[in-house]
Amino acid sequence: MRIAPAWCWLAAVIASAAAAADLDEVRRRGTLVWAADQEGGGPHVFPDPADPERLTGFEVELADLIAAELGVKARFQQGQWDRLPLLLDQSADCVINGIELLPERRRDYGCSRPYFGYALQMVGRRGTPPAALADLAEPGPAGPWRVGVLTGSAAEIEMRARVARGEAQLEVIGYDGTIDSLEQVRSGVLDAAVLDDCIFTFYADRFAELRTIDRPFAGGLYTVLTSRRTPRLTAAIDEAIGRLIADGRLKAVYDRWDLAGRQQMLMLRDAAEIPAARRRPLGELVRQTLPLLLSSAGMTILLSCASFPLAIAIGLAVAIGRLHGPAWLKPVLTGYVELLRGTPLMLQLYAIFFLLPKVGLALPAIAAAIAGLALNYSAYESEIYRAGLKAVPPGQFEAALALGLSKWQALRHVLVPQAVRIVMPPVTSDFIALFKDTSVCSAITVVELTKRYSVLALSTGRIVELAVVTALLYLCMSWPLSLVARWFESRLERPGAAPH
Amino acid sequence: MITIESLSKSRGAVRVLEAVSLAGAEGTVTALVGASGSGKTTLLRCLNGLETFDAGRLSVAGHELTPGPHAGPRLDRLRRDVGMVFQQFNLFPHLSVVENVALGPRVVLGAATEEARAAAVALLDRVGLAAFATARPATLSGGQQQRVAIARALAMRPRVMLFDEPTSALDPTMTTEVLDVIVDLARDGQTMVVVTHDHGFAKRAASWVVELAAGRVTRQGPADAML
Repeated sequence: MRIAPAWCWLAAVIASAAAAADLDEVRRRGTLVWAADQEGGGPHVFPDPADPERLTGFEVELADLIAAELGVKARFQQGQWDRLPLLLDQSADCVINGIELLPERRRDYGCSRPYFGYALQMVGRRGTPPAALADLAEPGPAGPWRVGVLTGSAAEIEMRARVARGEAQLEVIGYDGTIDSLEQVRSGVLDAAVLDDCIFTFYADRFAELRTIDRPFAGGLYTVLTSRRTPRLTAAIDEAIGRLIADGRLKAVYDRWDLAGRQQMLMLRDAAEIPAARRRPLGELVRQTLPLLLSSAGMTILLSCASFPLAIAIGLAVAIGRLHGPAWLKPVLTGYVELLRGTPLMLQLYAIFFLLPKVGLALPAIAAAIAGLALNYSAYESEIYRAGLKAVPPGQFEAALALGLSKWQALRHVLVPQAVRIVMPPVTSDFIALFKDTSVCSAITVVELTKRYSVLALSTGRIVELAVVTALLYLCMSWPLSLVARWFESRLERPGAAPH
Repeated sequence: MITIESLSKSRGAVRVLEAVSLAGAEGTVTALVGASGSGKTTLLRCLNGLETFDAGRLSVAGHELTPGPHAGPRLDRLRRDVGMVFQQFNLFPHLSVVENVALGPRVVLGAATEEARAAAVALLDRVGLAAFATARPATLSGGQQQRVAIARALAMRPRVMLFDEPTSALDPTMTTEVLDVIVDLARDGQTMVVVTHDHGFAKRAASWVVELAAGRVTRQGPADAML
């Protein structure tokens, strides 16, 4: 749980410098490893409802067909959708998962000819605004519209472009799964979601409360992504798709999945070549990305500084309750600590953000993130404070009681101030851990520094350069923090220092 | 001022105190003497409710205690009138000397900070430590710390003062410093109960001596007759 994805990621990128396998290696191995995110859902790739261990979806069938054309077997590799391209230099030969053919991708990766044409569809609740795409030009009844998209998708790029051009008054909120945004439209957290039309068509029955808004717009094409280091594999996959289109097998797949095979074939035959984007110089890259990275670093600071004092307050209360509270309270608090320590932070954030709205308590993402971090860390802080309180010699408590202080006065004036001094070092290191754990909050749409890096790295293709900039930003924040903590420690230890 | 009647206490199968009775009038200094494990410290700690007892009656400074667990607020009131000084001093290390002495009046009696501080400095002056008001307890010698502890207890203007082997952790010079303070208090008419196994100390300070062995009172009488 306590990892900083940015560092791991950087290490992985460096370690994988020459790992990409070209066509010969794929044939020798006898398997084509294709990456996708089964959390992304239908109709692309998803667990078969009848047999959840088996994957199904039109891209599963496409992968099998392409592998067969290459004379090998297809093997699935799971990855998080917005980071699938990173697997190409590592564990996957290709990515087949609704990857849109964009100029940046043509520049950074090997791209096959398109295999599917999609359009973007806006979806909202029945009976509530917006009623049309044009409504987005003016703010909604409660300020800017809140619109959910899949992070890194064409929908996100399109909606952000509309905001940037001043055509839409809305807040674009990125999700790691397409279903997540539909759930949040249903629960009222979002006004609308924008996604590939085939996805909503597939899930329309499950989300009976939702409806399409206007006609699909701003479409594009899916491509099979390969590494630039495997040009022969790229060419072989491209040719394989050509044969699947020509002999009607791809149309048969789409017809079986109710994806209008004939219309798809017409689109694919006429698909225009998309030119590769220009690579920007480093100075221009930094100048363009730094303001975004800085504002996201501000979010990291906000999350840490808001949640940690809460975690300490709750943790201290829990520790005191477990040591000095009434007997019935102790097992309750022990259960609280074990539950929060024993389950992943990610799951707790999910519960707060996605499950609470189902019982009528919809928290904004930032509030949910602060609450989740505070609750999770309160369990750790309570254990630290419990140890700290127990480390104060028993004679201190007796001396306070003998002086006439009540139990609570003794805690407040004698035990807790001494425990605070004892636990200062572990609490400090916990704060730095929480500071880095804020990156987990991206799972519930909060864009902090690591998430911003991830999005920018993928959209610009400058993974290493931006990782260095991001690492420096983290260092600029955590180092002064350590200095402040050390100063605070020495101030508390200094004899004669003012205690109150 | 102090009455104990047939007080008994067990810890598991062990009888720690067995039908102990004694009385201490206002202004008297009672010394509890006896070998280690005779129950004298336990008896002292029963007097301010740090220990509970199983049977008997106990009254101190007008407060009654009954067998079994004590209710919190009742104990808090008793302890305002009964001060205690420990063998290991138990000063609060995170507070300065003057803050140690002022804490009780400030927190328990609600005295204003400045007022409590001035009273604390006066008490420190009385035990000869006014110069150390802003020092941390850890920088003081054992004898000085014990005198601060006495000042801390006195700050609550207790009607009864309890001393649990106040000089056992001290060398002879420091013992004398502390003893002088206690004798001085006795001269002022402070009611006190002192646990000690230093007979010289008992002789100098006490007016009444109670000797315990294996949880029972074996002898008691006026200090001159007993020692």
